[in-house]
Amino acid sequence: MLLDKNIAELSDGLKKKLFTSVDLVNECYSNIKKYDLTINSFITLVPLEEALKNAKLADKNINDHSSLLHGIPFVLKDCFVTKNIKTTAASNVLKNFNSPFNATVYQKLLSAGAILIGKMNMDAWGHGGSSENTDFGPVKNPWDIKRVAGGSGGGPAAAIATRFAVFAIGEDTGGSIRNPSAWCNVTGLKVTYGRVSRYGSIAYASSFDTVGPTAKTSKDCAIILETIAGLDKYDATSSPQKVSNYSRLLNQKISGLTIGIPKEFFQDGLDPEIRQAVLSVAEKLKSLGVNTKEISMPMFDYGLPVYYIIAPSETSSNLSRYDGIRYGQNRDSFTQETMRRIMIGTYTLSAGYYDAYYKKAQEVRTLFIGEYKKALSECDVLLQPITPTPPPLFGELINNPLQNLLADVYTISQNTAGVPSLALPCGFTKNNLPIGAQIVGQMFSEDLLLRIGHQFQQITDYHLQKPKL
Amino acid sequence: MKISPIIGLEVHVELKTKSKMFCGCDANHFHVEPNTHTCPVCLGLPGALPVPNKTACDWCIKIGLALGCEVNKLTFFERKNYFYPDLAKGFQITQLQKPFSINGKLIIDDQEITINRVHMEEDTGKSVHIDDSTLIDFNRSGVPLVEIVSEPDIHSSAIAKKYLQKLQQIIRYIGVSDADIEKGSLRCEPTINLMIEDNGKTYYTPLAEIKNVASLTGVENAIDFEVNRQTEQFKIDHQQKNSSNKTTRGWDADKNQTFLQREKEENADYRYFPEPDLPPIEYSETEIEAISKSLPELPNRKIVKYKSYGLSDYDSQIIADNSLFATAFERAIGEKNDKEFCKFVANIFIGPILTLLNKSQSEIDLDKIKHEYFYSLFKSVSSSEISNTMAKQVIIESYQIDEDPVYIAAKKGLIQVSDPGKIEMMARQVILDNPKAVNDYKKNPLTLSFLIGQLMKVSLGSANPSLAKETLEKLLGK
Repeated sequence: MLLDKNIAELSDGLKKKLFTSVDLVNECYSNIKKYDLTINSFITLVPLEEALKNAKLADKNINDHSSLLHGIPFVLKDCFVTKNIKTTAASNVLKNFNSPFNATVYQKLLSAGAILIGKMNMDAWGHGGSSENTDFGPVKNPWDIKRVAGGSGGGPAAAIATRFAVFAIGEDTGGSIRNPSAWCNVTGLKVTYGRVSRYGSIAYASSFDTVGPTAKTSKDCAIILETIAGLDKYDATSSPQKVSNYSRLLNQKISGLTIGIPKEFFQDGLDPEIRQAVLSVAEKLKSLGVNTKEISMPMFDYGLPVYYIIAPSETSSNLSRYDGIRYGQNRDSFTQETMRRIMIGTYTLSAGYYDAYYKKAQEVRTLFIGEYKKALSECDVLLQPITPTPPPLFGELINNPLQNLLADVYTISQNTAGVPSLALPCGFTKNNLPIGAQIVGQMFSEDLLLRIGHQFQQITDYHLQKPKL
Repeated sequence: MKISPIIGLEVHVELKTKSKMFCGCDANHFHVEPNTHTCPVCLGLPGALPVPNKTACDWCIKIGLALGCEVNKLTFFERKNYFYPDLAKGFQITQLQKPFSINGKLIIDDQEITINRVHMEEDTGKSVHIDDSTLIDFNRSGVPLVEIVSEPDIHSSAIAKKYLQKLQQIIRYIGVSDADIEKGSLRCEPTINLMIEDNGKTYYTPLAEIKNVASLTGVENAIDFEVNRQTEQFKIDHQQKNSSNKTTRGWDADKNQTFLQREKEENADYRYFPEPDLPPIEYSETEIEAISKSLPELPNRKIVKYKSYGLSDYDSQIIADNSLFATAFERAIGEKNDKEFCKFVANIFIGPILTLLNKSQSEIDLDKIKHEYFYSLFKSVSSSEISNTMAKQVIIESYQIDEDPVYIAAKKGLIQVSDPGKIEMMARQVILDNPKAVNDYKKNPLTLSFLIGQLMKVSLGSANPSLAKETLEKLLGK
């Protein structure tokens, strides 16, 4: 299947006319037709004729200097606004919403010649870790359709695992790219805060939200990041930091680097099979000359409370524009989970509670930033698990709000600190459910993370495994 | 019973920047077709993000500096969350903890009024109520708004009005806003209560904030009304201020009275928190200094300067009132701040020029004000070649047609003859020609006016009248 190839191979094939973008698009739609009734990863599928029209144009225009993404089919999490295609954020509140403008990330991909296939299912507004908190039906895990795909970006990750497209663009506020990547066996990058423009990404929690790629390999993520990263005059929080040639730096040596293993991330509550698989990443990297070092991040326990005070505070404000006057739907269209987060955030910002909750949480957030700085001064990158358990059965998370929050325990502190993290497939449970590990680095160290990920994927084949549907 | 009003003013000034506060939309919304100056950002659409307008921030600091404030080098924006149909995002971006500047003052009639803060925020959309429906115009949504908050240092409606006029004058001087109350580019919300001293006890009446005051006179009248209302109310219920009885009252200009809008203001919880979409803003010492240097000379300084030129307090104030007018005055006096000359120019500005401008409802045209014209006219008046009355006439013509006023006077034969020799020749002629009048004069000196009239006739009106009188008296023997 063409869609098993990575982006560089596909681009090469397109340029050499070994196959066409039309072939790729047809393959996507054929897979979607076969499997998406089961998986339910799409909210909106671009009409085939439309995608084919764009593919034909891409085939016509391609030349040796075309972007590596030229003619490559991709999908967007449905939180990115797009002209002419509705954007719902998986909520009935926006079920008929058409944006008059394109998200910067989408615009950049269009300019590169990539071809949009559809807009993907997710937890509404990013509120969840299982893609069950959606008004468009839950996303099924392609590895076991009785199980969740993860979230909030379950749709994008499931779509890449099932080869509905070559890559996806997701949004990670507290694990929304990494968690479903781990549970669907794909590679996902949560970028440094400010690395990629958030303009046109419907906000969950503005100071945590990051836009990044989900794909089959680290190298694919590097190629995508080169296209989507950079300063945007429409996003005051986007960074002027130079964008590296990530894909060209992938083979630079990693021997001599030190990978830190923060012990607090491997204690009680972590599934033993996951623990073993994640630690095995360190062992494999050792064979590439990487040193390992156990370190301590004692703030770990404060991660959930800090995140679940500040993120709901911000979301309560971000969602207040959906006040029932505009957008056509009333506020009772919000789901229980979203109402819960709005209520918590409204409470933590209220007079008399602000100091005890929001302000205190912000102070602790500053400590987290310091903790990551300190940890990353003792080593080059950190190795951490992504999820405490393999993908749960449907209902296990959504019906247990506290358990739902705990699913994020390993993936929120990076957003709290703003640092980047690369999610990599690193093994399977006895029941053949995927396991992911994350490599976390300093601010703007995406080049290093992608390099480690790439070289790890050169000596492993977890990322090449596909679900049997 | 002794009653002292306690008044604090919250003033909102709309900046006249080209674009809005957080997007590129045209900030002009006066008489503009509704909802034509909008974009995803000021409509608060999903995914849109604010980007601060640097000029607006600079101008906010400029206002702060003009009011003698300290500038906070590190500031940030915050969200003020509340529900209102014309509030597109469900929150307003404003400043609470770190306004751009704090602790300024304005001196009104030798009384110092402390400015608590000058901060930057965005305006909301505008609700238009037609019959039973409400329409919303978002053209105003996101227009840069500077809020200037005074301490409750004001104790009379007259001082409140003067404070506003002074504020308006300074803002217009620095050119950052039209500060027009009628057009809504300057809005004022007074908060008032009374300190009542009675039988050795002191009472404070409940606070009332007054909204919708749309003119300077309105502010004065609303405060006066409120002072009376609170006095009468206190006599009835003796109610005192507490943390939960502040009210909001509207001003009805037609009925000339305030009316209750909302009670129990303390319950409003705006859930302020730092705006996560905007990084903190830092101004360096150098940047603040550059803004400070860009400030024009402000009216108070000008008044002091004009007084040092020998102008009266009254004249100085009139000239300094309007920045353009003051600039024109300074252009007219040029480098020569000789007191006599300055007074001469001031008289012309306050007299004929101001009259002309008022009549034509226009601003002074700087290009038509030339120092040389004023100076040559001054010299001609000093040497009595041109009378003061003539001077006022020709300078207006000079302003209108851009020609040297002395030349205009000469062309019209308006130059006064003050040469004693020439006057004497004409006087001798008049004495010879009018023997009867000369005889009359010897009997009754009051008849000299006839001879002076004859001399003026002979000179075709150009003789210096006082010199003519003197010369005739001398020749005829007093």
